Parts: sequence; structure tokens; C-alpha cells
Amino acid sequence: MNATPSALLLTALRHASLVLFVTIIAVFGALAPKFLTADNAINVLIQSTPTGIVAVGMTFVLLTAGVDLSVGAIMFLSAAIAGKMLAAGQPLPLALGAMLATGLGFGAINAFFITRLRIAPFIVTLALLFVGRGLALTITQTRAMNLPDRFLQLGSARVAGVPLPLVVLGAVLLVAHVVLMRTPFGRQIYALGNHPANARKAGIRTQRILATVYLISGLCAALGGILSLAQLGAVSPKFGEAYEFKAIAAAVLGGTSLFGGRGAVFPGTLLGAVLIQSIESGLVILNADPYLYPVITAAVIFLAVLTDSTRHTLLARLNRRRIRQELPT
Amino acid sequence: MSTAAAVEFDGIGQSFSGVRVLRGVSFTVGASRTLGLVGENGAGKSTLMNILGGNLRSDTGRMILRGQPYAPAHPTDATRAGIGLIHQELNLFSNLTIAENIFLTSFPRARALPWIDQRTLHARTAALLRDVGLELAPDTLVDRLSAGERQLVEIARALSLDARLIIFDEPTTSLSARETGTLFALLRRLQSQGIALIYISHILDHVRQLCHDLVVLRDGAVVAQGPIETFSTPAIVSAMVGRNLTQLYPTRRGAPATEPALEVRGVSQPHIVCDIRFTLRRGEVLGLSGLMGAGRSELARILFGLDPCSRGEILVSGRPLAGANTRRRIERGLAFLTEDRRHEGLCLEASIADNLALASIRSHARTPLKLIDRTGWQRAISTIREAVRLTAKAEDTQPAQTLSGGNQQKVVLGKWLLASPSVLILDEPTRGVDVGAKFELYQLIMDLADRGSGILVISSEIEELIGVCDRILVMSQGEIRGEFSRPEFSSERLLAAALPRESPA
Amino acid sequence: MSGVATDRSWRTTAARALCSDYFVLWLCVVYVAAVAPFTPGFASLDNATNILATLLPLFVVALGQTLVLIAGGIDLSITSIIGLCSITGAMVMNDETGWLAHSPLAVPAAIAVMLALGGLVGAFNGVAITRFRMPPFIVTLAAMMAFSGLAVWLTQSKAINQLPAAFNALGGRTAIALGIACAAGVGVHVMLSRSLFGRWLYAIGHNARTAHVSGVPVAGVVISAYVCSGVLAALAAILYTGQTETGSPVLGQRILLDVIGATVIGGTSLFGGKGKVLWTLFGVLFLKLVDNSLNLLNLSIFTLTIVKGAVILLAALLDSLRTRLAGSHA
Repeated sequence: MNATPSALLLTALRHASLVLFVTIIAVFGALAPKFLTADNAINVLIQSTPTGIVAVGMTFVLLTAGVDLSVGAIMFLSAAIAGKMLAAGQPLPLALGAMLATGLGFGAINAFFITRLRIAPFIVTLALLFVGRGLALTITQTRAMNLPDRFLQLGSARVAGVPLPLVVLGAVLLVAHVVLMRTPFGRQIYALGNHPANARKAGIRTQRILATVYLISGLCAALGGILSLAQLGAVSPKFGEAYEFKAIAAAVLGGTSLFGGRGAVFPGTLLGAVLIQSIESGLVILNADPYLYPVITAAVIFLAVLTDSTRHTLLARLNRRRIRQELPT
Repeated sequence: MSTAAAVEFDGIGQSFSGVRVLRGVSFTVGASRTLGLVGENGAGKSTLMNILGGNLRSDTGRMILRGQPYAPAHPTDATRAGIGLIHQELNLFSNLTIAENIFLTSFPRARALPWIDQRTLHARTAALLRDVGLELAPDTLVDRLSAGERQLVEIARALSLDARLIIFDEPTTSLSARETGTLFALLRRLQSQGIALIYISHILDHVRQLCHDLVVLRDGAVVAQGPIETFSTPAIVSAMVGRNLTQLYPTRRGAPATEPALEVRGVSQPHIVCDIRFTLRRGEVLGLSGLMGAGRSELARILFGLDPCSRGEILVSGRPLAGANTRRRIERGLAFLTEDRRHEGLCLEASIADNLALASIRSHARTPLKLIDRTGWQRAISTIREAVRLTAKAEDTQPAQTLSGGNQQKVVLGKWLLASPSVLILDEPTRGVDVGAKFELYQLIMDLADRGSGILVISSEIEELIGVCDRILVMSQGEIRGEFSRPEFSSERLLAAALPRESPA
Repeated sequence: MSGVATDRSWRTTAARALCSDYFVLWLCVVYVAAVAPFTPGFASLDNATNILATLLPLFVVALGQTLVLIAGGIDLSITSIIGLCSITGAMVMNDETGWLAHSPLAVPAAIAVMLALGGLVGAFNGVAITRFRMPPFIVTLAAMMAFSGLAVWLTQSKAINQLPAAFNALGGRTAIALGIACAAGVGVHVMLSRSLFGRWLYAIGHNARTAHVSGVPVAGVVISAYVCSGVLAALAAILYTGQTETGSPVLGQRILLDVIGATVIGGTSLFGGKGKVLWTLFGVLFLKLVDNSLNLLNLSIFTLTIVKGAVILLAALLDSLRTRLAGSHA
């Protein structure tokens, strides 16, 4: 209909991630021409795979209006366990399996406290963030642990000419997208996020769905941990730190709402993850002070959430019932 | 009777923490019959329907569904048994499509694959939408639908589950007159297809139009039942109330003064209201009538500064408000009892005393530290408790949520009376309030008018406005379409003025 | 039938005990009685003084958290406020490189800057939450990350020593710290129980929309609550910095769970509308007793973190249990 200022603003907010994406690429491109090369683009894409996968899991959780702050701790703990196992001479597949099992296990603990004991998700996952990091630090004795080359080879392996991390990310995105958009479970997640009480009344097994999304988030965190480990080759005491922020930021930048019921993994979350990695890579290329990274990441998160809230408020205002048809003047 | 009854209730009893809400309820809904279920709020209608719908298990008694014993443990059991429940508040998800809403728990799958068979989903939804007379694409987002269209989607969902017995709980509260007409046509079609209906409503005219049989509940027991023809409307009312109501409304003692309390001059907001002009005099009870969605509540929110207003002027006691926010407007003597008592009227978990004090506590704060003068505050609370005749059982420290609807409304009214307003706006003040408490609320409103305040009452019950008002304005499509003084009051005239005009082609 | 009756009366008693003002204090007494025999040095006067000294700054931060929680919000940025205020104050007054080194005004100026900075961060949180309607936990999470990052960047992750002795005494001398903490506690108590601000705060926590319709300046009150939380965190930074005699960007980084855990264990609800200064005091006491006893048992700092994670879950569990009991016994 007629383009009111708020409708225009809303359109801009809908595509906020795209606008931000182009702006950031343009700024870094102008400051450092190296940033715009194909090599760097592929590098950024590969580096964004851990964040992307963790953020896919986070998207499931955010769609139910929950949050999972324990993903970074899950990455660290599962990596620490794998490091110990490999150091003890266990085979690689077993170590990888143990990582995924750790992720599922932590997801299950989150799910138990949230669905059975009805504790607010952010409190449960915040507590598990500390528990997980504490356990991992105990295991590693706060020392960095180098992993055997076998693990690093995972990061550089190729499947039909495509780097393995990208294949994994693609597979995760495809499965997540089909699950969310095309299965009863996925559609019920959206219903639950829109109105939990009504979802229960409609006969949806809401507790089961809630439990499942935290399991998915835990599993994705562990998988993201594997890919991150394959790139770094070592477990440091800082491993996985701030990944919860990055994952939330990626999802929210990609248009997923913190208020539940709205968002998608493709292209939204993927775009968000690449955007965040671009900022980090750009700062590295520009030789910025590493101490500044968290400040800038926090600023980006703040911006993303601000966009989401503004969009939410504007949508509510635009959707307010209209009583009369105004004649165009 | 050739076929078994649609459902038979046999001695259903239910207690909540020692309070008996249903006692030995027995009645039968005949096959292909429509039964009207009426009763005051709190009579046990919703509890009974929750038992039928599997949300609750009855303490005693049994139900027989089409000749078979029936004891649902979960809402899905009720669905499987062919019972559809259309709630008062609709259960749709605005972020999903019509098709997804209808088949949310029974998506058609593509063979043994985990994903949804989109083609079947669309075909089946389209067929259902044709059945209910809704001409919309199955993949339309529910977000875009009007209240009436949403109701039809709910009915389509019930039909998709092969419901043989559908319960309607106050289905017309949020519908326009035209949407109500469409709904009734559909209900008649369902009746002709042999589907049994239970129709719960406060609007006795509607019950009379649609139903074959009637059951009246009072205090959890059936007090009257039989074919609808055997009841006169006054007989139904006296059965619901349990006594002959000779007087529904208190007599008005005072008369409006001449000086204005509230003047509204050309208030407009695009898409909401247009050029609203009226004057509310001191000591006057002014009614604001109109259909759902005519813009009455929106106008009240604008007057109180809760919603923006792009043009026009509002004067309280002769002085313009000039863009004051809600807090300033309260200081200037405005008060507003909102229609949503639970979310905007009360702090449900806070104590009765804190709720009563909320709007006027500022006057008990002594500078410089803004500490509360507790004795003065306590005195004010006990005075106002007396004035609004709050039930003596309730203690000041008790949470407001433990009170009945009528007493809760008295607390909200008491809160505003403590602020001694010169203009009180009431939006559906007696919704969810039983008849006895209604009378007391009317009395309180009239007493306030007699003390010189101006009162603006918004109500969907025309009889109520006729009973308490000195003058009634009628709104439609965001405009004032009529003004009636006492001698001109009649339901027909008010209703005629309230009907929306067809928009010029 | 009598079985049912005893069951009900037992439940009522349990509910009363759980919802009583002194429940957590009794919990502390029971804990001390249970743990003292196995923990050498736990029940000594020295240890009691030690517990008191570490309890005071935590109590001050928890006071601010109590205000925010009552309004139905949460403030995760307190840890970053403590770090940021600690280094800013140190930058102003340290004897080596301080802007006001050796000036008689150094200490008062540093304190003023610290408190103002805390209030500023709080105001930032409050404005983002009320004016832009952003979820409190994410706003304060981002603030935590940004401001602690800022503190680390400003100092390049180095601590600042050589603080004036007059300043160190504020936190270092337990008697002075006790005075400061008591003043803060009494101030917040009066504010909550006697003042208009307190009434408004509880009403907003119960139902912000009702409060708004009833003329409560919701945005102003909520922003004030976050400002108070920021200022109290800055006050705690003064105590902590004095205790350690060092301005450190990572000061207070480990106390986030302590603060939320202690406040919620005390009985302040995560859902808003409920909370008292006394409750918070008992909650802090309980947490510090657990902390101290585990320390004396020579458990590693990581184990302590794990235990604290468990304690906060327990606190949240208690909170939801209390809410359910209150609902069924109203």
C-alpha cells in the first residue's frame, strides 16, 4: 500500500543483516584491499564454520524464546575430553564420538532443568557455563594441550574438492533447514515460540520439543568444537570462550528473534555467522589491538539486538488493528 | 430416540481445594441437537467444558459419549473422540499459515518420510476452507486474518479432526455483526450435517436463535433444563441469578451540572479515530456505545495518554492537557479503569492494599526523601475498603489474585477512587462480574457522579448503558455517529446507529 | 483421613518455613553445625573475621542486584563495572602514573569518578532496556563483554599498583568496610520498605503495564534501579580494590554467579516483584560460608566454580519451588 516512514524503516530493518554485511565488507575492503580477495573470502567462510554450526543450534533454542549460554563451555569441555583421550592413545573416531556425546549430555542436563524443574533457561545455561568451564579447566589443569596432527588433517581435508568444514556446515544447514521448514517438529517449534500456552492447549508436546532443542544445541556446540579444534590444533584455557555471544549474535543478525517464533537458519543464521567472522578477520588484517575484539563483538551484538527490538516494536505497532480506512489525500 | 445421545453427563462433581465448583451435574446433549449452556460467571460452565475437553478429570460422575463410556486423560483423547473445543480466546499461531494451524498436530506425511506432504496439506486445507466459507489461500499467514476469519479457521480445524460434537465458548465476543451472521449461517449448516453443538453465551438472544435445548447452571448445579421454547427470557435470567431481579440498576439521585469536566475537541489519529468532539459535564454519566472494534477503547486510551493522538485538543476542568503523559493526566484528575483487568488493572500477586494504593501513593510520600506516611496510608486504605464494600473476608495483605472477579474490579475502582478523579473513564467495567456485584459497582459509579465527577462508561451491553447513563454517544468506524439523551434511549436506535456504513464503492 | 490432614499440615509447615524471612539464616546455622566438625579452622574467630571481610563487598553488589531483580530485570554487567571502576580509580590516583598522583584531592576524586562511572554504565543499561525495549539479560551481557573488554584494553591487561594508603584503608580495614556496607544496606532497606520509589519498584516487578496505567513513571524507576546497581557495584569496586591494594581490569570477574546465586537463594525472585535486603544478607552469608568451608578443605578454584554453578541451580530451584508453594497456598 502506501509507503509510510515506519513501513520503510521496517523494510530496512528486515534486511538489516544484508545492509550491515555490505557496509562492513565495503569498509574493510576500502581499508585493506587484501580483504576482498577470493582467498580471503574462502578463508573467512571456512573460519566461520564453527560459529555457523553453533549458531544453527542456537537458532533452534532462540525460536522457542529460550537461550543457551552454555555452548562455549560445551565446546571447551568436549575438546578437553577429546584431548585427554587422544593423548592417552585412543583412536580418533572414539574421541570424536566422545565429544558429540559430551555435547548431547550437557544438552540433556540443560533440558532436564528447564523442562522438568521449570527453571529459566538463561539461569540454567549460565550455571552450566561455569560448571562446564570448571570441569574442563580441572581436566586440562589450565594448561594448553596440543593435539596430534591427525586432528589438524580434518581441518584441511577435502571432499570432492570442497574443504571438509564447508561440507559439514552445508550438511548441517541443509538438515536444519528441512527440519525447521518441512517437518511437523519444525513447524511445532515455531508454534511453541509464538505462544507456549496455546501450543500446549493445541496438544503439542511442548516439553519434549523444548528438551529436543537443547539437545540439538548441545550437539551443534560439540560439532562446532570439533571444527574449531581442527583449525586451531590445540586446546587452550580460552577455547570456546565467548562462543555463546557469537552464536546469539549470528542468529539475531540473521533475523532470528530473541522473543521466539521468528527466524530461519538459511540464509539468516549463515549470513550472521559469516558477518561476524568477517569483522574478526578484517580486524586481524588491519592489525587491530586483539584486546579490542571483545569490545567490538559486543558492540555488534548490541546493534543486532537493538535492530531486533526495534523491529519487534515496529511490527507490533504496524499490526495494531486499524479501525477506519483513511482516504488517500 | 433412534441414535445414542451425543454426550451424557451423569452426576459430574468437582472440587478445587475444598470448594465445590460442580455438584452432581447431569444432562444430555441429544444426537444432532444444539444445547445452549448459560449461567453467571463462576457457575461452573468452563470447568464442565474443561472436563469434557480432557483438561481436567472430574472427582465424581461419568460421561457417556455416543453410547460409550468416556474418560479423557488429556486434550488429545477428547480430540480423538471427536470433540472440538472453540475457546473464547482463539488458539491460533500468527506466525504460521492457515494450513499449518489446522494440521499442526496431524500433518499429512509423505509416505514413510519424516517431512510434510505439502500438496496433500494444501488440498485438504482448501477443501476445509470451502466448507466453512472462507475464501483464502491455505498458505496465508494467520497474522493477516480478522477475528472472524480466525474463528472460521478454528472451526475448520475442529472439522479436520472429524469432530462430531463442537463446543463454542462465547464465540461472538470479538466478532462484528456481519461476522456473527456468517458464523451463525455456518453453525446452521453444521447442525444440518448432524453435528451436535454446545453453545455457551451470555447473549440470550443468540442462544434462543440457535439452540434446541437449554441448560442453566448456577453455583455448580443444573437449576433448569428443557427445550428452549419452554423458557421465557426473564425466566432464564431469574434461573441464572436465583432470585427475581426486580431492579437491575440503582436509581439515579443527582443530575448533571452545567460546567464541563472533560472537553474533547476534534481528536484524531490516522486509522483509529477521526474528529471526536464531545463534552462530559460534571456529575454526568455518559455512555459510549458501539460494536466491537468501533474505536471506543482506542479513544479512551488516547484520552488517557496511553496511545498517541495526532490532532485535537483535550481539556480537563477547562484546562487543556497539551501533550501531558499518563502520569500528568492522573495528577490533573483523569482516571481510567481498563477493560483488561488482569494485565492492566491489577498487580495480581501484589497485596490488596498495595493495589488499592498504587495510583494515589504519591500523595502519601513526604519530601525530601519521599518516605511513605504509613498511618495516613493505612487510614486511606481502610476508608476505601469500606467505601467499595470489599468482602470482609479478604485481608489487606492477601494477593489480589485470590479475589473473585467482582471483588477484583472493586479493588481497581477503589484504586481510582482514592485518587479522587474529576473524570473517570470505565472500559467494560462489569465484564466477568456477577450480577450482585454489578449492582454495587453501578451504585459506586453513580455515587461518584453525584459527588461531581464526570463519568464516561464504555460498554458492549446496551441494556447496561441504558440503565446507568444520562446520555449515550454511539461510535462506529472510529467516528461518533449519534447522540441520545435519556428520553430517546432504545436498544433498536442505539444499535442502528452503531452499524457500520458500507464504504462507498 | 488423619493421614491426609497431617500430610497437609506438614506441607503448610514446609511452605511457611520456605517462605519465612529467616529460612536461609536457619540454613546457615545448620550448615555451620554440619560442616564445622570436619573442617579444621572453620569455627574460629579469625575465620569469622575473614568471612566478614570477603562478605562485605559481595553484599554491596548483591544489594544492587536485588533492586534490579525486584523490578523484574537482571544485571550481568556488574562484574565489568567492578573491573572498569577499579582501573579507572587506580588510573586517577596511583602514586606513579596517576593523573592526580600525590594530590590531596586524589582519593576523593577517584572515588567520585568510580561512582559516577558505575552510575553511567547502569544508566546505559537502563536506557537500552526501557527506551529500546531490549531484553535485560542480553543488554547487560553485551555490556559485561564490552566494558570488561574496555578495561582490559585500557590497561593492556596489566594491574595498577601503588594506590594511596588512605584509599586502601576503605576496603582493607574491615571496620571501615563494615561501616560502608551497613550504610548501603540500611539505605537500600529504607528505600525499599519505606519510600515511594520502593513501592513503585515492587509494582513494576509485579506488572509493569498496570503500573504504567496507574501513573507510575516506569522507565524512570527502572533506569534508576540500574543506576543504583551500577553505583553499588562501583562502591564494591572501591572495597575490593582497597582490599587487594591493586587496580585490576579482571577484578570481580568471578563473582557474577556469587551475586546472582546469593540474591536468589535469599529469596528474591527472578520473576520480579519480590525481594528484601535482609534476604539478600542471609543469601550472601550462606554463599560465603559454603565458599569458605570449601576453601578450607583445599578444593581447587575450578571445583569451587562447579560447586557455585550447582549452588545457583539450587537457588533457582528454591525460587521456583517458593513461587509454586505461594501459588497453591494463597
